Parts: sequence; structure tokens; C-alpha cells
Amino acid sequence: MTDQADQSRRNFLYVAAGGMGAVAAGAAVVPFVASMMPAADTLAAAKTEFDVGTVEPGQLVVIQWQGKPVFVVHRTEALLKQVDGHDEMLKDPNSEAIPEVQAEWMDTPEKRKYRAIKPEYLIVVASCTHLGCIPLFKPTPGRKDWGDSVPEDWPGGWHCPCHGSLYDISARVIKGSPAPHNLHVMPYKYLSDTKVVIG
Amino acid sequence: MLEKLMQTRLFKWLDERSGAEAIIKSQLTEYPVPKNLNYMWNFGSLALLVLTIQILTGIFLAMFYKPSAALTYGGYTVAFDSVERIMRDVNFGWLIRYMHAVGASSFFVVVYLHIARGLYYGSYKGPRELLWIIGVVILLIMQGAAFFGYLLPWGQMSFWGATVITNLFGALPVVGEFLQQLLRGGFSVGDPTLNRFFSLHYLFPLLLAAIVGGHIHALHVVHSNNPEGIDIDKKDTIPFHPYYTVKDAFGVGVFLTIYCYIVFFNPQMGGYFIEVDNYTPANNLQTPPHIAPVWYLTPWYTILRSFESKLLGVLAMGASLAILFFLPWLDRSKVRSSRYRPVYRQMVILFFICVIVLGYCGHSAPTPTLKLVGQIATGYYFLFFFALLVLPKFEKTKPLPDRV
Ligand code: FES
Repeated sequence: MTDQADQSRRNFLYVAAGGMGAVAAGAAVVPFVASMMPAADTLAAAKTEFDVGTVEPGQLVVIQWQGKPVFVVHRTEALLKQVDGHDEMLKDPNSEAIPEVQAEWMDTPEKRKYRAIKPEYLIVVASCTHLGCIPLFKPTPGRKDWGDSVPEDWPGGWHCPCHGSLYDISARVIKGSPAPHNLHVMPYKYLSDTKVVIG
Repeated sequence: MLEKLMQTRLFKWLDERSGAEAIIKSQLTEYPVPKNLNYMWNFGSLALLVLTIQILTGIFLAMFYKPSAALTYGGYTVAFDSVERIMRDVNFGWLIRYMHAVGASSFFVVVYLHIARGLYYGSYKGPRELLWIIGVVILLIMQGAAFFGYLLPWGQMSFWGATVITNLFGALPVVGEFLQQLLRGGFSVGDPTLNRFFSLHYLFPLLLAAIVGGHIHALHVVHSNNPEGIDIDKKDTIPFHPYYTVKDAFGVGVFLTIYCYIVFFNPQMGGYFIEVDNYTPANNLQTPPHIAPVWYLTPWYTILRSFESKLLGVLAMGASLAILFFLPWLDRSKVRSSRYRPVYRQMVILFFICVIVLGYCGHSAPTPTLKLVGQIATGYYFLFFFALLVLPKFEKTKPLPDRV
């Protein structure tokens, strides 16, 4: 070994060896991070079957799908009327903002408005799109049943107790709510007249 | 007493193999501390005491606690039942659990006062910037540990608190969804979440212990600030031992008196230390009427709620903590202590009030008035930091003394 040792060659070897070590360390992190992602059994997304015929007119039922709560509402004529007439209060009246708030079958303005395959049965994920609380069902319009938890021109729908988000009776978010989107519509289909499979 | 011990042959033997004498001298008996420290300087040692209490009681609780959300025959869950078993069946389990729960709140009381002291007397300024930064890291880890721990009893507040906070991460663009699943281990808060939170709740205090070591080391390099905020003349210092060990011991006595009173007579502190709703087992189909984090996280919760946009709220909350890291460089004034900075003094006192107001708003159910109050307080929170940039241009500081 002389003083003339080729420094630049040495530096290259240092960097190359260090780089390889860094890559190896990075690769070793992968399995650990991946282990924290949903496990196979969690992913085996159990589908949920439900008979919407069991929901009384005007009633709201909360069922579970993949550990998430899901609203099923049987909307009466009166409730269906409440969907109209307040589009200017909504952030996304036509459910176009993100894929999760729409579905393939939402091909007509009607369907986009009612957000249900059969308008009388609304089925949506019950997690507030703000931070995931379950909104409270406050279907009648105006303040008389709900006090000042809802605005004076309340069209009827849901009120989230956590930070005050409001949704109309088609679960479309009302302007001024902290929640950014309408309640999500998950994939579902009718097996028979009232039997629904979710997921 | 210490001198006598240090003359024994056993100590000599030890010293030759460990350098114990040099350590004791440099860190205790000859470690110089300003002679004019007031009682606000007691909270550092108190924080160390509470950390020790938390780790000790935590180790024992982990012997009985079971992190599982599986249902039991009683209709509750394994985790919830194991906590109730600790309370009712395990010998002195109630005491150990209350020590731990009250300890968590005490930890934050002590640490918030410790931070307030640092703000008031300018302890974050050079040469103590790194000491301050390590302190902010400690604060963040504490908040993380407290958040993970709060899920473990698997009550309504545990569950919904965790749901709300993990959803926060979902708001971030691009990485949000990934982070959220990483935290939850599923599509919603559930059994996998509980398992990993338990693991992390055990890990974080150990991290904390290591980083606290760094905090103390950094302190012992730059030495304590003092109420006058001036650099101290060697003649104005006294050794840490025995002077400040005695003073700290007195502080410990006062602290333990209050702590024991709460542990024995009022462990839930009227729902502030243990929220009433958390005695209802977690139910993923029903949100409690009003979700609020435990008191020590409420100021940040208000900042989150003050924004219409979810993403902005999350970013503001992150920024309100991150800005603490930059404080030593935001504040341009050469003078440290509020005693000689009349304007800063008003500002920092208003800042303390503002944080308390934020905490109050976050603890209460949201109403339009409180929302507005919260927004104003949030505004001041940030204004405080940015005003420091220009403050030295306007503020006429009082002349500093040469010696204390
Ligand atoms: S979670 Fe519904 S408003 Fe925040």
C-alpha cells in the first residue's frame, strides 16, 4: 500500500457498499410494514346479505358490513319528496365528486339524486365522511323535532354529533359541513325482490 | 451521607471499574445550577417521577390485561372484561389501574407546566435549542402513547376516539388511505387495531425513557436557564446535590400529596381523567352523543374542528405541533426571560390563556359560539408564533442585570 492509493476508486467502493447496505435495509423493512396491512382473513371481505323487506316504512336500520356500519332506510313517499328542492344547499348534489359516492347503476339524474337502486331503499355506508362517526337520523324537516342541532331550513336527513356535519335524506352532504363528501355508496345488488347482497 | 458512601471500599472497587466517582461529581455534587431557580424548575424532576410511575404500573397492568376484541359470554369483550377484572378481582388492581390512569393526566399537567416555564423564561433560546427540540419530540411521543393507551379499555370513547383519529390520517392526500390501514390493520377499528395499539403502547414509554436520557444529557451540556434568563457567572451557581436534590424532593412531596388524594378519593376527576362514556363497552354501531378526547388532547382537537375543510383541519393540527420545533428560530429577540420583555410577557400569558380556551372548546359539545371562540383562539395560537418574528423590531426590552 502506497500513499498513492487511488482515493476516488476507494470512495466509489465506500459509496457502492453503503448503497447496497441501504437497499438491503430498505428491503428488510418491507415485510414488517406489510405485516401491518390488513391480513388475509380480514381481506376475505365477507359479503353481507340482508332482507330490506324487514325494514318498516320510515324506519332506519343499521347493519354491519366488513365491520363497518351500514344504513338501510325505507323511504316513504313523504321522505322521497324531501330529496327535492334544496340542490343549492348541497356540496355535490349529483354525487360526482369521488368514485366512492357513486355506482355504475347511477346512470340517470334520477338515480344520482335518490342514490339507490330502488329509491325507497337507501343503502349507504354509515360513517360520516369527516372523521367516521355515525350520524344521527333526523328525518323530519324543520327544527321542531331536533331543536337547534339543525338549521332552520333543515330538509330532513342526518346530523353528525361529532362535528356537526349535515346530510340530506339521500345522504348528500350539506354545504358548511366539515365532511367533504356524501356518504359512500358501497357495491350491492338485489338477489330477489327484497334480498340484497352487500359487497 | 453520599460522601460517606463514596469512601467505602465497595465504592472504590466500583469506581475503578466504572468511573462512578467522576460521574457523580460531574452530574451531581459538582454539577453547577443557578442559585436563583424558582419552583417552576421543579417540574422536570416531577416528570421523570411520573414517567417512572407510568412504566412501573404499566408493567403490572400488562400482566392482567388482554388485548382482544373477541366477544365474551357476558356480551362484552375480552379486553373490556379484563380491565373490569383488574378493577374487581385482581388484588390491588384498582389501585394500580387508578395510579396509571391518574398518572397519565398528571404526566401531562406536569409536562405542560414544564413547557410553559420554558416559554415564559425563554429556555428554548440558544444555546438550548436542541434541548427544546428533544423536549418537543418527548411531547409528541407522550401524546402518541396516551392515544394508544386510551384504546385499550375498549370502551365507547376508546373506540370512537380511535376511529376519529385514525380517520384523520385518511384525510392526507396520496398516503392517507395507506397510513389509515397501516394503523388499523383493517377497514375499521377492530381487533387487529387493539393488538397493535397495545404493542405500541408498550413500546413508546421505552422510547420515551431513552429520549429523556438524551434530554437530560443535553441539559447537562448547556446547563439550566434561570428566571433572569441571563448567562450565569460561575460564582452564582450551587451544586445540584444537595441543594436541588432537596428542593426537588420537597416538590415530590407536594406532588405526591395531590396525586395520592386524586388516586384515592377522586380517580376519575369528574370525567376529566377517565371519561364516563368509557365505562360503556365499545359498540361500532352507535356513536356516543358527544365525542371528546381526554382533556390533554382537547386543545389540538379544537384546532382540528376550527376548519371547514377536513384536510386543512388536519394540516393545521399538525402544524400547531410542528411549529414548536421552529420556535427557537422564530423568536428573534436576544433577551430570554419575560421579566425583561414587557410585550412578550403579555403575549405569552395570553398564549397560555388561549391554549386553555382551546382545551375548553374541544371538551365541550360543538355550538356556533364555541366554534367561533375556538377559531379565534386558533388564530391567536398561530399569530403568537409568527408575531415573534417581528416583535424585536417594536419591543423595548428592559436592561439586563450583569449578575443574578
Ligand atoms: S365525524 Fe361527522 S362531523 Fe366529524
